[in-house]
Amino acid sequence: MIAVAESAPDDLSLGGAADPAGAGRAAPAPFQPVLIDVDRCKGCGLCVAACPKGILDLDDSRVNVQGYHPVRITNPDACTSDAHCARVCPDCVFTILARPKPPRAVPA
Amino acid sequence: MSVAIPEGARVIFGRPELLTDRTNSYCPGCGHGVVHRLIAEVLGELGLGPRTIAVAPVGCAVFAYDYLGLDFVEAPHGRAPAVATGIRRVRPDAFVLTYQGDGDLAAIGTGEIVHAAARGELITAVFVNNGIYGMTGGQMAPTTLLGQRTTSSPRGRDAAFHGYPIPMTEMLAVLPGVAYAARGSVADAVSIGRTKRYLQRACEIQLEGRGFAIVEVISNCPVGWGMTPVESIERLKEVVALEYRPGVIIDRTEP
Amino acid sequence: MTTRPAPAASDPRRPVAPGSPHRGRRVLMKGNEAMAEAAIRAGCDAYFGYPITPQAELLEWMARRMPEEGRPFVQAESELGAINMALGAAATGARVLVSSSSPGMSLMAEAMSYMAASELPVVVINVMRGGPGLGSIGPSQSDYFQATKGHGHGDYRVPVLAPASIGEAMALTADAFELAERYRTPVIILTDGILGQAMEPVELIFREPPRIDAPWATTGAAGRPPRVVRSLHLKSEDLEAHNRHLQAKYAAITDREVRHETEHLEDADLVIVAYGTAARVARTAIARARDAGLRAGLFRPVTLWPFPSSALRDLAARVAGVLVVELSAGQMVEDVRLALEGRVPVAFTGRTGGMVPSPGEVVAALRDLATTAAVPDGRPER
Repeated sequence: MIAVAESAPDDLSLGGAADPAGAGRAAPAPFQPVLIDVDRCKGCGLCVAACPKGILDLDDSRVNVQGYHPVRITNPDACTSDAHCARVCPDCVFTILARPKPPRAVPA
Repeated sequence: MSVAIPEGARVIFGRPELLTDRTNSYCPGCGHGVVHRLIAEVLGELGLGPRTIAVAPVGCAVFAYDYLGLDFVEAPHGRAPAVATGIRRVRPDAFVLTYQGDGDLAAIGTGEIVHAAARGELITAVFVNNGIYGMTGGQMAPTTLLGQRTTSSPRGRDAAFHGYPIPMTEMLAVLPGVAYAARGSVADAVSIGRTKRYLQRACEIQLEGRGFAIVEVISNCPVGWGMTPVESIERLKEVVALEYRPGVIIDRTEP
Repeated sequence: MTTRPAPAASDPRRPVAPGSPHRGRRVLMKGNEAMAEAAIRAGCDAYFGYPITPQAELLEWMARRMPEEGRPFVQAESELGAINMALGAAATGARVLVSSSSPGMSLMAEAMSYMAASELPVVVINVMRGGPGLGSIGPSQSDYFQATKGHGHGDYRVPVLAPASIGEAMALTADAFELAERYRTPVIILTDGILGQAMEPVELIFREPPRIDAPWATTGAAGRPPRVVRSLHLKSEDLEAHNRHLQAKYAAITDREVRHETEHLEDADLVIVAYGTAARVARTAIARARDAGLRAGLFRPVTLWPFPSSALRDLAARVAGVLVVELSAGQMVEDVRLALEGRVPVAFTGRTGGMVPSPGEVVAALRDLATTAAVPDGRPER
């Protein structure tokens, strides 16, 4: 089951958005198009091979609860949400989100 | 085991509801995981979950009932099409699906699958063909390719000694009771997409009452083939798919 | 679809309502067909079978009658197919019948183990023929071991009912469905080629056992968690627990469901233990023996499993010898010896291969037993 986060960022746009109110809030987290259920991953590497952008690899520095090196996305900005990774994954590790459209500029 | 989806985000690909929460016990990279997911997607999209009675095989996928949230009957090895026939005949409103591997369907169960197909039983048969007996440690299957080494053909399958691989789905397609027979593959995202469409059509054919429908899916067995998962996918594309060619083998519902 | 004429008054397909003037009328029926009709009237939802002599008439009756009742009939590709179809249908909670004869029963052995382990109610009728192997099409009782102790692998038992007349076979068919569902177990009705092929006048009394809830049945998981009908329990602790549960069930069946009949035992010196057709031969032999001054009686097990061991053991104190008669090389005789624990001499006479012991042979065996057991020759002076 997929849990919806209780507290969500105000703004899903790419990092570095302007702070219109000038209230000094921290920049919102960058949009993650690919959510990875780390503990389901078996480190099979099929997604790494399938990703047309080549932005997945297995994280040798960590081991998940099953004992495998789980997948990680190395460059979320380059992801186009084509979901090749999710489609070839035998373990439903990936949830793919649509990249939200950037906010339209308001004419001055 | 969960991921937190940001509020307002649009999910374009997620875990289908008909998969249970359990992480499957299949080997890393095994195609069964993909086929299970496709079944969950298709049955979910067609709204068939509540009325499906599925039949599980003997083989690696004996555990299918742990991973798919459907009513399941465990069949003795090879007998799934007969078990499904019994279910179908007494439950006209149920949606009946069988899931079998190559040993289950093409070795011990050849009699049952041929006759269920010949009777045109209104069932949808899923046949996962990875050319090997995974559960029992990697022995030769009826669909093992010539030259392929397995634990019971250690020098490679030899036609003179072991006979030839059996094209089960092509054989079944000859029978008038077979309304639809197709072969998909888990080799890549495009093949997987096509396989999903074959499964959709095979399910619709049962709903339309047209006859027996079978979707074979050529799949990989990294451990049995002695390869990494990525290597096994390459073999699937470059070797297996040349012998067991993906595509629609017959569609008797086409005008 | 053409309309069929209504069945004639004497046709057993004509419904017989309680209180009807036709209730209790007697009609000549072939055993195979009588059992089939009894199953239909007992509410059999589906029949799966395969032709094999000497029970093909049962399949053919079902082929004609089940579609008339709007119920599924399938002639499967083999007995293996038939029994697995029954497994599937039973898993959904349906009331299911399969029939076969000895070689076909061997093909069903695998599924018997699976059905017992998955706790599925299925009634299986075996019309025994000569064996082993392809054997003959004559009658036999040589599947006693198979029915009571054999068929498939693993620790399980299956109730076995043994009628000795066509009327009793009809009644036991209804009882078999009830037993199967009450205890969630396959049940075998063990008959032979004579009972299957013979025609006898039978009273058209049928019984449909009431349905009970099946909260385990796989019917489609609408509105509830999914159910699985299975026999695989990979963790040994889980399988042991399941086996304990099965054994408790078999203990309950043994406590409550043993059946046997006795005849002429009040003053008997010798008792014949026989079931089915052998019991009928024994009856004639007993009458002749009594005419000749030998006081014999009949102990007829009706359940072969659970075997009426206690009743037989109680009998041991009152008789001087036991003769077991079977259409086999001697199978039930072992259970008789086990039950009697050596208290009384046990002799055996039987024929194999489709041959039937004659009353004369049985009387001769009784005489031999009388000599061995030192039974006084008493003329019936009463």
